[in-house]
Amino acid sequence: MNEIGEFALMIALATSAYGCVTYIMAARGNRVDLYLSAEKVPFILSACVIVASAALWRAILTDDFSLQYVWAYSSRDLDTFYKISSFWGGQKGSLLFWTLLLTCYTVVVHIQNRKRNAMVVPYAMVVLMLITTFFLVLLNFSTNPFEVIPVPPEDGRGLNPLLQNYWMVIHPPTLYLGYVGFTVPFAFAMAALICKNLDDSWIRLTRKWTLISWFFLCMGNLFGAQWAYLELGWGGYWAWDPVENAAFMPLLVSTAYLHSVMIQEKKDMMKVWNMSLVLLTFVMTIFGTFITRSGLIQSVHTFDEATLGYYFLGFLGVIIVVCVGFIISRLPLLKSKNELDSFLSRESSFLFNNLVLLGIGFATFWGTIFPIISEAVRGVKITVGPPFYNQVNVPIGLALLALIGIGPIIAWRRATWSNLKKNFLKPLLAAVVFAAALFPFTPLGSRSEIYSYLTFVLCVFVMATILIEFFKGTLARRNLHDESVAEALGSLVWRSKSRYGGYIVHVGVVLIFAGIAGSQSYSAHTEKRIKIGESVQVKDFTFTYERLGFIEENATKTRAIAQVGVYKDGKRVWTGQPEKEFYKGQNQPVSEVDVLSTWKQDLYMILADFSEDESATIKIYVNPMVSWIWAGGWVIAFGTMISVWPDRLEQRRRLERMKIQSAVFSPAQE
Amino acid sequence: MKIQDAILNKNNAGMRSCIWAFAALFSFLSFVQVDRAHSSALLADLENALMCTCDDKCGKVLINCTCDTSDKIRIGFTEQLESGLTVQQIIQEQVAKHGESVLSTPTKSGFNITAWAMPFVALVAGGLGIRKIIQTWAGRNRENAGSEKETEAEKPAKYSSRLQKELDKLDS
Repeated sequence: MNEIGEFALMIALATSAYGCVTYIMAARGNRVDLYLSAEKVPFILSACVIVASAALWRAILTDDFSLQYVWAYSSRDLDTFYKISSFWGGQKGSLLFWTLLLTCYTVVVHIQNRKRNAMVVPYAMVVLMLITTFFLVLLNFSTNPFEVIPVPPEDGRGLNPLLQNYWMVIHPPTLYLGYVGFTVPFAFAMAALICKNLDDSWIRLTRKWTLISWFFLCMGNLFGAQWAYLELGWGGYWAWDPVENAAFMPLLVSTAYLHSVMIQEKKDMMKVWNMSLVLLTFVMTIFGTFITRSGLIQSVHTFDEATLGYYFLGFLGVIIVVCVGFIISRLPLLKSKNELDSFLSRESSFLFNNLVLLGIGFATFWGTIFPIISEAVRGVKITVGPPFYNQVNVPIGLALLALIGIGPIIAWRRATWSNLKKNFLKPLLAAVVFAAALFPFTPLGSRSEIYSYLTFVLCVFVMATILIEFFKGTLARRNLHDESVAEALGSLVWRSKSRYGGYIVHVGVVLIFAGIAGSQSYSAHTEKRIKIGESVQVKDFTFTYERLGFIEENATKTRAIAQVGVYKDGKRVWTGQPEKEFYKGQNQPVSEVDVLSTWKQDLYMILADFSEDESATIKIYVNPMVSWIWAGGWVIAFGTMISVWPDRLEQRRRLERMKIQSAVFSPAQE
Repeated sequence: MKIQDAILNKNNAGMRSCIWAFAALFSFLSFVQVDRAHSSALLADLENALMCTCDDKCGKVLINCTCDTSDKIRIGFTEQLESGLTVQQIIQEQVAKHGESVLSTPTKSGFNITAWAMPFVALVAGGLGIRKIIQTWAGRNRENAGSEKETEAEKPAKYSSRLQKELDKLDS
């Protein structure tokens, strides 16, 4: 079976190379026979990669340690659940997983566009095939997951204990679905540049791809944060690690693109800008992969055998040169038909939104690469850690939050003072009243606390703008159609899915901002070595250490579990059981935290250490509002689902467009 | 035209004051150093300022690190603080021992200033660029709107003079 997997990868490489050539020749020479041949390529390619992936999964699930990859990332006593995830636990498998997603996406693109967009699609397929070819070259010649060990060992090394967490099973695939998804808008943008078809048709074609990829990237980041929160055991969820930054940057750039593209759709402006943003998003996804796989920057996330730096650097260089070259050569065609009318307009606010998003993106990028720059210039490698990013990005983030409120309610083209007064008075009033009410109860002794106070006030402002929009729309529908409030609200959202779905996403973002502000500034923690029966006080809670137990789960894993009773006002509210897990052959034990999560706060416990007399060092955190961050993620998911839900009206319009196209280009006409 | 310009100027002036107010708040919050007098916060300050120096080179800032070495480092710092050393003295001692890379952020001196300044320079440059673009475009649109109106106004005069000429020809 392993030989079949290896062979399938070779066939896949040959097929993708063939696909590149035939699609190019079909597109340039207008050859129908070649096009018909090329049409089969995505299916064959995808089938080959599926076979290779199935072969690797089979080897992992059947403990076939003759494969070096299986030996390095699995073991006999690893749970089946985690065996499935060890497929992407290492560099080779993760590259195969990337290729698997890419080829499946290519098939979907092909099926979606089989009978339409004949001008752009062949070029988009060429771009997709070229990218697939790059990954297949790596898999065949540099990081072959089917590399064999001459004398197979009895057992494997096992998956890194830190990766044995359910969030780690979900987080990488979600992130990859986003990363790889952005290849599709990139491919269509490149295709539009190549065939000079630079109206907004490529944007319409890739709208849902962009939204869905953005959604997965967003959720991937949040799932990663949840993994860090539960598994790394330091009480936080985001450490501005280079690899976290690498996943965050494409999210920022794609968010900027999602907003600015609205201006192109509505006003036929900013074509160069949108084209640059979609290309930059893809470049950032490859940059992230480069960081993870180059070993250039130290991170908890980098792969053990990070040796692919030069390949990805070269690939990145080629992409940047080609993209910039095409944009420059097509500049006259990308000239906008309209221009901005005023500073005070929604278009301007979107521009500033783009500036702020890219500002955060640039600060993050700069912080990530600054150690390399410093080493090159001064010969001294310095560290750029969380305090840098917090100091630089938090104020810019506050500006972004303000713009989330301003953007949707400022008028298109040109807003007047009366218009501004009408739209902003109530939200501003709500924010001012809230600020005044909150002021006496909020400590403002540190910069972090001032930031948090401002964040809460801005959150109220943004929520007020959104709620007023919903209220006005519902009221208008109720008056016009004589509907109940629920009916009016439902039909309002249903009839304008993209707009109100967007507002719901904004609500999710506000919840995330509020959660970050609350948890960063008002958390309390303590770390104390205590004996059985002793207690620790954190905020209003008393934590009493009750007992220590041991469980030998299997031959390689032993768990030490502390039981801690939590009391508030003399009443027992929870029993926490933080653990320390010891894995045979691993130097460091792994902490398994225990968390009681409520909307108000998380009670978070870590068993840091224990000794023979059963005394233990327990770390306790009371983290306010962390659950708001995760709730924000689900609200974003709900909003995105509404935005991408198929719209019958839009489908009807598209069908009409297709009818017109087929009437214009029918053989009878020719 | 004058009224329209006045309204636009008023709008832009309002916008400018908002931007200035925001920029002032932004700068204040970015650069102000708030004193942290609480003694319990001193260890947290140290943990935030320094990286973990374990043999595994975990690359984590001390406050986020959970390895055994980090626990020992914390105990050491607590003892040093209790012995009367200040946070700055402990940081200097650590830099002397492990080099500049032990600091969790670049220092605000020499070449490292670029690390802090570049994001804001880029942001300000981008903001000025957007301002310039909007001003140019908005100005051009106003001129176009103006010239269209002038053309509209000129049309009757142009046609009436032509009509007059034609009538004069007929008369002659």
